[in-house]
Amino acid sequence: MLLQLNNISKWVHSGGQKVFLLKDINFWVHEGDFITIMGPSGSGKSTLLNVIGMLDDFNEGAYTFLEEPVHQLKEKHRANLYKQYIGFVFQAYHLIDELTVRENLEMPLLYKKQSASERKALVADTLDRFNIVGKKDLFPAQLSGGQQQLVGVARALIASPKLILADEPTGNLNSKQGEEIMEIFKELNSQGVTIIQVTHSEKNAAYGSRIIKLLDGRIE
Amino acid sequence: MFTNHIKIAWRTLLKYKALFTINIIGLAIGIATALIIFLFVADELSYDRYHKNADHIARVVLKGKINGEVIKEAVTPGPVGNTLQEEFPEVLKATRIQQQGSPQITYQNNTFRDHTFAYVDANFFDVFTLAFIKGDSKTALTEPNTIVITQELASKYFGNEDALGKILDFKEWKQQFKVTGVINNVPDNSHFHFDAFGSMEGVAGAKEPRWIESGYHTYVLLDPRADPKKTERKLPNIVKKYMGPQIQKAMGVTYEEFTKDNEVGLFLQPLTDIHLYSDFADVSNIEPGGDIKTVYIFSAIAIFILLIACINFMNLSTAAASKRTKEVGVKKVLGSSRSELIRQFLTESFIATAIAMLLALVIVIITLPLFNNVSGKTLQTAYILNPEVLFYFLISGIFISLLAGSYPAFFLSSFKPIIVLKNKFINTGKTKGLRSGLVVFQFIISAGLIIATLVVDQQMTFIMDKDIGYEKDQMLVLRDSWMLGTNEKVFKEQLSKDPRVFGVTMSGHIPAGPTNTHMSSFYLGQDSDGIRRTIVYEIDDQYIPTMGMQLVAGKNFSKDFGPEANHIIINETAAGILGFTNNSIGETITLMINNEGGTRKYTLTGIIKDFHFKSLHQVIDPLVMLHTPSSGLIVRAKTGDMAGLIANAENLWNSFNTGEPFSYGLLDELYNQTYLKEQKMGTILNIFALLTIFVACLGLFGLITFTAEQRFKEIGIRKVLGSTVPQIIAMLSVDFMKLVGISFLVAFPLGFYLMNAWLEDFAYRIEIPWWIFIVAGSITMGIAFMTIGWKSFRAASMNPVNSLRTE
Repeated sequence: MLLQLNNISKWVHSGGQKVFLLKDINFWVHEGDFITIMGPSGSGKSTLLNVIGMLDDFNEGAYTFLEEPVHQLKEKHRANLYKQYIGFVFQAYHLIDELTVRENLEMPLLYKKQSASERKALVADTLDRFNIVGKKDLFPAQLSGGQQQLVGVARALIASPKLILADEPTGNLNSKQGEEIMEIFKELNSQGVTIIQVTHSEKNAAYGSRIIKLLDGRIE
Repeated sequence: MFTNHIKIAWRTLLKYKALFTINIIGLAIGIATALIIFLFVADELSYDRYHKNADHIARVVLKGKINGEVIKEAVTPGPVGNTLQEEFPEVLKATRIQQQGSPQITYQNNTFRDHTFAYVDANFFDVFTLAFIKGDSKTALTEPNTIVITQELASKYFGNEDALGKILDFKEWKQQFKVTGVINNVPDNSHFHFDAFGSMEGVAGAKEPRWIESGYHTYVLLDPRADPKKTERKLPNIVKKYMGPQIQKAMGVTYEEFTKDNEVGLFLQPLTDIHLYSDFADVSNIEPGGDIKTVYIFSAIAIFILLIACINFMNLSTAAASKRTKEVGVKKVLGSSRSELIRQFLTESFIATAIAMLLALVIVIITLPLFNNVSGKTLQTAYILNPEVLFYFLISGIFISLLAGSYPAFFLSSFKPIIVLKNKFINTGKTKGLRSGLVVFQFIISAGLIIATLVVDQQMTFIMDKDIGYEKDQMLVLRDSWMLGTNEKVFKEQLSKDPRVFGVTMSGHIPAGPTNTHMSSFYLGQDSDGIRRTIVYEIDDQYIPTMGMQLVAGKNFSKDFGPEANHIIINETAAGILGFTNNSIGETITLMINNEGGTRKYTLTGIIKDFHFKSLHQVIDPLVMLHTPSSGLIVRAKTGDMAGLIANAENLWNSFNTGEPFSYGLLDELYNQTYLKEQKMGTILNIFALLTIFVACLGLFGLITFTAEQRFKEIGIRKVLGSTVPQIIAMLSVDFMKLVGISFLVAFPLGFYLMNAWLEDFAYRIEIPWWIFIVAGSITMGIAFMTIGWKSFRAASMNPVNSLRTE
């Protein structure tokens, strides 16, 4: 078991009333899963993904990640956990505009304090693997959306995470670019990487092995 | 990782070029100003410290109160130094200076008059450290009629020849001096700058035990182990022991009686305090000194302008934060720790500061000559490059970048990564309060400096326009006319015939600039208890009409008066002291003619309206005028053709074959020179005020740029809903203008209080007019509005579609 959510609830107060963003979520993920979270706008998909990614808090329930009780961990410990095991892919790519493709890829390795030679080797491998060697010295603004997302995925993957969280990874792409990204996810999954994606698209959902549908913060 | 920081910092700086430029320019101006002021202050504080014994040398000064008149003089009676050395073991040496102005000095065909000369005691160079190039410092001045000169003077007179043993001729004194030593020029940061030091040996009166006549600058070298305060406490006994008997002889009262109503005492002033802490009578100072107040004011300005520049940096960085949330969020998600981010942002501020400091150095190198010109200093850029100063420069650079960069660093690095995932812009609203506070602070200083500038300007105008009691325009002063000898009168008569001349008077007493000073004391009739010191003018019957002075009672001197007629004219102040009214003409006034109690009686002929013969810093003192010949000519012209008149005077001068070139001064220029210090101060203040408001406005410009960008969408929506351009400009500007307005609430009272304190130094001064605040407010408001108005207009007049499309 990679992670497990037991009776997770999250709410905010609005006008004196509790508004539930997530309610009583029970959810588990095994290593090697490819899970799709679906649901209409405002159903809590992204919130759930952020909770899983430990970027957002929850108010109630228990969250276990690799046997560690996340809900009991201190902020810093939690951050270390997600830095070590989770890679993020965003709808808006979120590459750092001031850095080149190569430098963007190198960034997570820098924070892991890897040596220069290790970093160099890993970056070269990754550029090769994603077929973007020719783009390594370009800045994000010089790339198309599909290429930027490719770099985004490559960056999420470079530190060999156990889990990739993708929040509408194809949302800003045209259908051809979207398909390419999804193919990459599929291939990664076949190599053993666990993936959780949020999407609106039935077509993308079809790549996954399991679909979780959310409505008003509850799993249907 | 560090190279990565530098890379990101550099690329960020390039990306936000406008912000970057504003930050760098503001910071560079701030640092450059602070650096120049640092050089100025360091120079002011370095005065007289070059002497090896600087910390153990003190000047003996005289302070007291005699018949209500406060006396503060940097000169003492002649025997003071030797007496202290004999009486007190801790006084190791005592030496004296007696300044003699700029006598004419001749060697063969070379005659010049632009070198300052002083008599000094033989041990002068034991006490003061002035390196000898030639000659022996111990023995150079032991003989009478020996002289030590500066290298500059030596090469001027003797070229490459050896100066030692040469004879310099002082024709007007009928004396000759043998050169026995050559020294380097006296350093700039010295309270005296003589070019020639003559031996005090054999100078008339130098060794006489006269205790009630001052004229010697006396310095004592104290034992380093001794406490100067203890020595100072013993000085009253010296005064009593030596001055007492002579006071009794001169005034006919015992010292005990004399000190019942009067005070007189000797005090020690540390050598290193002379330049900045001297408030002695102008005539007793060797040179006009500096003022510790100026040092404080300039230091405060340096700190303020630096603070303003740092505030800009903080303000702009936090305002720009909204644009960098993504970067921070992504980095945190990718594993960056907060401290890593803090380091990154600090790196940015270090790089910006480093560039600003380099730029500041360039600015200083370029502008230092200008500043020297304005301030009358000779500051050297080379001084910055000495290792110690460079070290402090670097340290302060680090401090500045921490000051400017720490808040943005902590603020920016505190973002939660979730912000970026939720694709939300951070609300920088909570930092708005701080930003507003900082803007208010900047404008308090800007408005305050503008008020200061205006007040100084008003006071200077007041001084220049004040009715000073005599005519100063179109007045020609011929100080050197004594060279004509017996022909002086002939010259005067001939010059009077020039139709452009209104009048000529023969007198060396000039109410502005360097002049003959003759002090005496006077009292009414036989009432010697009411004795008061007074300045004596020796004038002819033409003086009062030529100078445009007015008699309030009695009449002017007349040609018909015999030389022994004992007529006297006094000013209103003197008349007030004596209790005279306009009907007192004919009363008897007794004047001291020497210090042994010799007196002479005069009959009051006239009372002259008070005129200012000292600077307006000081109240008008008593002055008496005697009908006695004195050398020197003052010419009043009635024409605009001054050049023609001067040319004619020069031709006339040359026809007398004095062998000396014609030279003259203009009274209005001499008058203006009295206020050179204030004028310099005013100019410097003007420049600093401009710089300060410029830097503050740079910051304002940056802030309005970001505000406009942040509210881009809001502006679009408002326009779609029907808002007009002026309404949007008002919306964007009003917040800033409010802040500027709030700053006035502090700046006005503060400016009023501080400038009132500055004006206290003038005996004749303006009251700060109310309109100064309106003008200062309008200028500040105006500049601020111009700064934000343009940006607001640009933002307001954009096509709303642009902003709404980005959604």
